[in-house]
Amino acid sequence: MKRALLVVAFVALVAPASAFAHASLQKESPSFKQRLAVSPRQVVLQFDQSVDALPKAIQVFTLKGKNIAGTPRAIPAQREIVASLPRLPKGPYTVRWQALSNDGHIVTGVYTFGVRVAAPPVTDAVGAQGPTRTEDIVRWLYFVGLALAVGGIGFRLLIVRGPLSARAQRRFFWVTGIGIVTVLETGITSFLLRGEDFLQLPFSRFLYGDLSPLASGTRFGQTFVIMELGFALVAALIFLAWLTDRNALLWVAFGLGLVFISGLSLSGHSAADAGHSWLSELADWVHLTAATLWVGGLVQLAVVVWPTSPELRATAFRRFSRLATVLVALLLAAGTYLSILRLPHVHDLWTTGYGHVLLVKLGLVALALTWGAAHHFIAVPRIERPGVTGTLARTLIGESAVAMAVLLAAAILTDSKPPPQPLPKAPVAAVSQR
Amino acid sequence: MIVAGIEPRAEMVHWWFATAILVLGLLFLAETIVGPEVWARRPWRRYLWPATMFLIGLLLWPVMALYTNSMIHMVAHGSWAQVLMLSGGAELGVVRGKLHSRYWRLTSAGALFVSGTAFLVHEQNGWFFARAAFLHHALGWTLIVAAVFPLVQAIRPRSVAAASGFAMTFFVVAVLLYCDRDSAAILGHFSQFAGVPHR
Repeated sequence: MKRALLVVAFVALVAPASAFAHASLQKESPSFKQRLAVSPRQVVLQFDQSVDALPKAIQVFTLKGKNIAGTPRAIPAQREIVASLPRLPKGPYTVRWQALSNDGHIVTGVYTFGVRVAAPPVTDAVGAQGPTRTEDIVRWLYFVGLALAVGGIGFRLLIVRGPLSARAQRRFFWVTGIGIVTVLETGITSFLLRGEDFLQLPFSRFLYGDLSPLASGTRFGQTFVIMELGFALVAALIFLAWLTDRNALLWVAFGLGLVFISGLSLSGHSAADAGHSWLSELADWVHLTAATLWVGGLVQLAVVVWPTSPELRATAFRRFSRLATVLVALLLAAGTYLSILRLPHVHDLWTTGYGHVLLVKLGLVALALTWGAAHHFIAVPRIERPGVTGTLARTLIGESAVAMAVLLAAAILTDSKPPPQPLPKAPVAAVSQR
Repeated sequence: MIVAGIEPRAEMVHWWFATAILVLGLLFLAETIVGPEVWARRPWRRYLWPATMFLIGLLLWPVMALYTNSMIHMVAHGSWAQVLMLSGGAELGVVRGKLHSRYWRLTSAGALFVSGTAFLVHEQNGWFFARAAFLHHALGWTLIVAAVFPLVQAIRPRSVAAASGFAMTFFVVAVLLYCDRDSAAILGHFSQFAGVPHR
């Protein structure tokens, strides 16, 4: 009964209900990402409360950036703003709207539709510039956060399984906690930066910009919502594991972390670009998971085990070395498959921007692998010798730094566009018929 | 039916959270009335309000992620979610014996201050522009001023005045949240059907 009440309370909280102060767009025609068979005669925006029409209340842009909408007018009785349209030729269109809310705030939004073509995602709306260097840095921090949180928990559960000293345990939770908070904060920042790009508004107006087309109409937005909620839950579980000293909660957090990481694979190149399939999504998830566990484990080894638990160093190092071998094998296999998929020609490696970044990443990976191999083949057999552990502390930090640089290259790659896939050759019969 | 007929629509989520904050206020008040010693006789009671605060913070995440109609509201909901989780979490740590310094109570002061600031920043109109503007200013300044109570509690943990002030803050916030409606005139009509619009 208590559980049922909890479920009802939770559903009631998340069920659609107004938690919002200003006017919200309720219905629009043409609607978000609609593909129309014929040209629409007008754009109609209906709000949840009466609004006033501003001079540029509705603008409809062609692909070339020309506004073709007529003068907008408000219909207070229907809580609508309407603008007429000329006959639209085939193509994608971007609607930029703004309305004066009842409380005096200007609410603003953007969406896309297509006439006889599929509507582009709102992130490709006319005026949007695409990912910036700031977004690359934010995404890199997101990857680092994932590694510290999910990879860190993986290390604690798979490598250092037994009880830790109070100091080591505290440091483990600090590192993991910083990781999960970084994931949550950079997740929000990255969503807002995308929103800022497609809305193209001055900051004071961006404050009241409608981000719902991004949240509900793009894979990126849907993933943001699911991952943000998922990782908030993971954060709560990590906290409860610290509070109650129960590793079982860490197992749940680890499992959920691995599941929610898949959001990146289900919304990135592997899920959206030409040639994508369930196999490319799976390969991307394996690649990401292996990198997360590898980098997170390295950091835990260098920052938690080495300085706080001398008695665990040798065991943890040997175990991690074995796990790292498997992770690196998975990383390379999945990475090679994805590279072949995204780069149709070998010369794309040196003729395209995507290829250049990939080359830099491969160089860094090679450096990290050489470093790891030196640890595996040279350091592990000599770990009991005096003086070796001191040197290892420094080299582990060095390898962690290289691994972080790999993540930066991965972040830039994720935000870059792979070269276009070659068009399939038309069958000879079809050509001759024309 | 009454709720369905209200224009603009009832702000159910505000009301749900107002109820949760009212429950928090009741717990604080009960602890203040009976005193911390009596309150702590049953160990589970000590976990009640920190756990409630933590849970409210966690439940604010769906509000942050699902209501993306405005950037500033998203950020405000996100900041409330985080400070409530942080403050509730710190208090849980103290109760559990994981954290030892009494200055962890300062996280509550920080939570009230940040929450108040978020209310003020996300309202750009003046006090008397509309009921929502009035309530947002009132909520913001109430929370900022009330940050003094946990600050005093960190220095003087047995201060009844500070404990009572802290408890009453949550009652005031709950009442203001129950009243939080946008389009109505200040202290005036409840519905746009009841009279001329405020502008």
